[in-house]
Amino acid sequence: MSITDNMAAAPAPPVLQAQGVTMVFGGLTALNNVSLSLGKGEIVGLIGPNGAGKTTFFNCLTGLYLPSRGRVLLDGSQLAADPSKVTIAGVARTFQNIRLFPNMTVLENVMVGRHSRMRQDPISTLLRLPAFHRGERAARERSRELLEFVGLTRAEHEVARNLPYGDQRRLEIARALATDPKVLLLDEPTAGMNPQETEATRQLIFAIRDTGVSVVVIEHDIKFIFGLCDKVSVLVQGELLVEGTPEVVRADPRVVEAYLGKPPEEVEADVRAASTEHDTRGEA
Amino acid sequence: MTTLLQQLANGIALGATIGLIALGYTMVYGIIQLINFAHGEVFMVGAFGGLAVHRWVLPESFRENWYVSLPLMLLGGMAVAVAIALIMERFAYRPLRNAPRLAPLITALGVSIVLQEAIRIWFPNADSAQPFPKAFVDSQITIIGLGPDGPEGDVSIRASQLLLVVVSIILSVLLQSYINRSKMGRAMRATAQDPDTARLMGVNPDRVIVLTFVLGAALAGVAGVLYGVDITNVDNAIGFQNGIFAFTAAVLGGIGSLRGAVIGAFIIGLIKTLGGQYMWGGTQYDYVWIFVVLILVLVFRPQGLFGEAERVRA
Amino acid sequence: MTILNRFSGSGALGRHLKPAHAKPLTAAGGVLAVVAALLPWVTFLLGDGAYPAKATLQFFDAPFAVEGYRLHVLLLGLAALVVTFVAKTPGRGRVLRALGWGVFAISLISAVFITGRGGGLGAITAADGVTAFGSIVGVVAGLLIVLGAKAGHLDDIPEWSTDLPRWAAYLALVVAFVGVLYLVASMLTAGGTGGASNPYAGPIFLAFLGMAGGLLGALNGLGVVRWISALSEKHRAFSIVVLLVCALALPLTSAGNEYWMTVATTIGVYAATAIGLNIVVGLAGLLDLGYVAFMGIGAFVAANLSGAAAAKVGIDLPFPLAALLAAAIAGVIGAIVGSPTLRVRGDYLAIVTLAFGEIFTKSAQNNIGGLTGGSNAIPGIPNVEVAGTAFNEPITVLGADLPGGVLYYFMIVLVVGAIMAVFANLKNSRIGRAWIAIREDEDAARAMGIKTGKAKILAFLAGATLAGLAGAIFAHKLSTSSYESFKFLESVTLLAAVILGGMGTIPGAVLGASLLFVLPEKLREFDEYRLLVFGLALILIMRFRPQGLMPDRVRRAELAGETAGGKSIEEEEELVVEHEHEAPGPKGGKA
Repeated sequence: MSITDNMAAAPAPPVLQAQGVTMVFGGLTALNNVSLSLGKGEIVGLIGPNGAGKTTFFNCLTGLYLPSRGRVLLDGSQLAADPSKVTIAGVARTFQNIRLFPNMTVLENVMVGRHSRMRQDPISTLLRLPAFHRGERAARERSRELLEFVGLTRAEHEVARNLPYGDQRRLEIARALATDPKVLLLDEPTAGMNPQETEATRQLIFAIRDTGVSVVVIEHDIKFIFGLCDKVSVLVQGELLVEGTPEVVRADPRVVEAYLGKPPEEVEADVRAASTEHDTRGEA
Repeated sequence: MTTLLQQLANGIALGATIGLIALGYTMVYGIIQLINFAHGEVFMVGAFGGLAVHRWVLPESFRENWYVSLPLMLLGGMAVAVAIALIMERFAYRPLRNAPRLAPLITALGVSIVLQEAIRIWFPNADSAQPFPKAFVDSQITIIGLGPDGPEGDVSIRASQLLLVVVSIILSVLLQSYINRSKMGRAMRATAQDPDTARLMGVNPDRVIVLTFVLGAALAGVAGVLYGVDITNVDNAIGFQNGIFAFTAAVLGGIGSLRGAVIGAFIIGLIKTLGGQYMWGGTQYDYVWIFVVLILVLVFRPQGLFGEAERVRA
Repeated sequence: MTILNRFSGSGALGRHLKPAHAKPLTAAGGVLAVVAALLPWVTFLLGDGAYPAKATLQFFDAPFAVEGYRLHVLLLGLAALVVTFVAKTPGRGRVLRALGWGVFAISLISAVFITGRGGGLGAITAADGVTAFGSIVGVVAGLLIVLGAKAGHLDDIPEWSTDLPRWAAYLALVVAFVGVLYLVASMLTAGGTGGASNPYAGPIFLAFLGMAGGLLGALNGLGVVRWISALSEKHRAFSIVVLLVCALALPLTSAGNEYWMTVATTIGVYAATAIGLNIVVGLAGLLDLGYVAFMGIGAFVAANLSGAAAAKVGIDLPFPLAALLAAAIAGVIGAIVGSPTLRVRGDYLAIVTLAFGEIFTKSAQNNIGGLTGGSNAIPGIPNVEVAGTAFNEPITVLGADLPGGVLYYFMIVLVVGAIMAVFANLKNSRIGRAWIAIREDEDAARAMGIKTGKAKILAFLAGATLAGLAGAIFAHKLSTSSYESFKFLESVTLLAAVILGGMGTIPGAVLGASLLFVLPEKLREFDEYRLLVFGLALILIMRFRPQGLMPDRVRRAELAGETAGGKSIEEEEELVVEHEHEAPGPKGGKA
């Protein structure tokens, strides 16, 4: 907690900025004029009830959707509506329902993340020239560092599909970090986790932040968000309801109301139950 | 002008055949997302079923009256086509229902080869064109001298072509209303939308899938016999080519859409005849234009003319 | 093998088997196999002449003069007995199962063939007061061994240490590869050339395949196959050299005549093409149903640049240059064809590629621009020549007389070797990982910064280039280039070769191509049924062994529901059940 306070006290210039993002599907406005600003080394949480537009917003940030209005800036320049270009520019993501490359090994998964940060020309690839080996070695070393960072070194040669659930989530984070992001977007990183795993994830996110990467987290688990983030944005029905420090958001009566009009503890229990249920269904 | 009219007429007749086959493609794809490559062969087998009935089942006296022989041949063609479809659904596709998508597609190719070869080997002389009985009014309507070309400007339409078009339209309408109105039709639509929910609602997906194959095969059987009657000869290769045309039609119309399949089929029929007439390369390349259309549709409008964009599978 | 496996495994009999039955069953099966080998197999002379291996009663001289497939049955049966009674055989269950299937396959093939070719049931039972039950006893023996193996425990395939002194590892590799060479040579020549003059080529070849399958399966069960492949992985450079030398030594074996050189060259051409297709399908996961068109483009380009009189473009380029150009043009067209793949996926992609393939065939058939010769083809493509020696002439190297066509064979060996290297080097690189990532999950791949469109086009380009190169060699070897060689069915056959062998692997593509292009050669008199059997085989492979004969360790998991460790799902489920008895298991932790 104390770390969080320190960071909040020293606001940095924004790395990622969403300005008035509006997304209209057919006649339906899924997002209306949502803005978000993320400083260097900040952790921002995005919460809201189901269908509030969190995922849509995420998709606008990651280049899957082109916003109908508004724009997304990274270090002041606009992001393209193309996921690979967004990643190359420095915004990496994980997926709500884990999407690893299931039949590749753990190390290979992370090395795929190095794709845009390494060069290999066809000649040296085909002839296995020294330049090729240098590049491969560098990518492998960086990938191993990241596996160590998330604590998966021992599983390096396992096939990703055989990893336990929690490890798969961590592998996804390592893979995202392998793209050398300035901003990391985490889509429900603790969905389906038990309290110990959730806590480990929280520590991991702090550790990532300490390396200078800014983090945006979508999460149902309100307690987790409040214990993690420097700033929290609440989305309700496609609009930004409240934005501020966890304390401010927690105290806001509209937030409580938005969550089914129940006191926070109950809401939390509900949400937790809902996300667990969702997860088991996904696995079956 | 006359040539144009003549080719329009030919194209529409061809479209009617293709449409009956395309309905089977589109229904099966709509329900289980399988490109049933072998469906064209079901059409071919149906034609040979009709031929077999005429050759070996009908007594001499029956053969002379088309209103006796044709219905029996149609029944025979449908029966053979349905039987083949049932066998292939049960033994080739059903075991692969949850397999990776590559597996059923390759199986379908295998089934297609097996059916073509089985007919070639075991139906006497089926590797070369077999004369098909003209089991219908053998006359043609001639529209004389429509254009400036005088007597050479006759547009003639065979009675069997008319029959194809009429039957095709009637069957499509019947099928559409069956699927929209009947209980089984509702179950089919439900399964197409969301098989899991349909199952929860008490729909037996196996039965729905079998019914889909049966309906598609029956239509293909009818198409096969009527095609034979119209063209007056068949061989074991008619299935592959017409099958691909029909698949293209289904894609063009928006796969999963019955109306789309029929309209797509008429468009494909017209592209073939008009392309063969007016485009570079003549009839030698008419086949190519259909594939060009197929590629263009898949690339620029994969949901087809009548498909819904968001229902196209990624 | 797994095909039949499932039948018996799912049958009622399989469920009543208990481990206690294992030993008696396999022992009885082994004894019966030996007995079968010593019995006559045919009671009378068949219309086509005496059945090989002196199996016909009237040529059956002395039970101990076994030869040919009867010798194989004998050896497999003895091996089964040995394995049954040597308690510590590693991987015993799997070894026995493989041996059993071998005996079963050999016996069944002969039984079916003898009955089918005019013998009737009397030929394999009793007729004219004499008896010849060899094949039936063999079938029963094989089944007993398999059932016994199933009743017992199927152990994991044992892992052998690869920490050997260098000389020992090298020796093992040389022995293994020479063994493979011997096997390949015997397999090629087994039964001789198919055709009317040699009616028993088909069954003898198939029986040989049964024996080879049983033998390799047994070696695999012992862990030898895995050990050798681990060793060759470890000593990669040495293995490549030995393998290359072995391949080049094929003309010195029993397969060293012009006919087999031609067959081997043709296999090589298709293997090279199949490896190229494996990039597109196996690595990048893009199903291509019109792939053979690129081989066709290569062939027609080479034909037009060969100086053949019938070619429209009358340029006569030296072969290497023409081949490179053919490859490059095929590659460029491949990239163009690949571009719509940016927008379509899955089945739709298959259809787009099919459409391109059909457009190619139709255009070639219609002699588009005069470039393809239409239905006349482009005949008279001159042989490749080096220093005045045409590649179809016999040559003498270091005193050894090599048959005609051997130079084409050498060329294709080198080309296949090079293409293998290209495939392996691409697979284990940045672009290879990108392809596999796209195959696994395209959206996730894009989120990793992979420009998926560019990567897919590269896959098409690489695959088409290799096919174009193979096509150029094909045209010169055949000395003619016709659209008939590049039709839809060829695309399906190549795809089947890749799948049959095992997607994403090199040995798989080579094995698949060999089988699919040797079998028709051997079974010529069954040409009538060739395609029918091919279609049936496609259905059965997809149903019973979709991962192919030599699957990628990882890919196998996806297609067959096996885990990466090589256990089938059933076995894995048993393990899970065991685990759940011991402890709540890892699944409990997830909720």
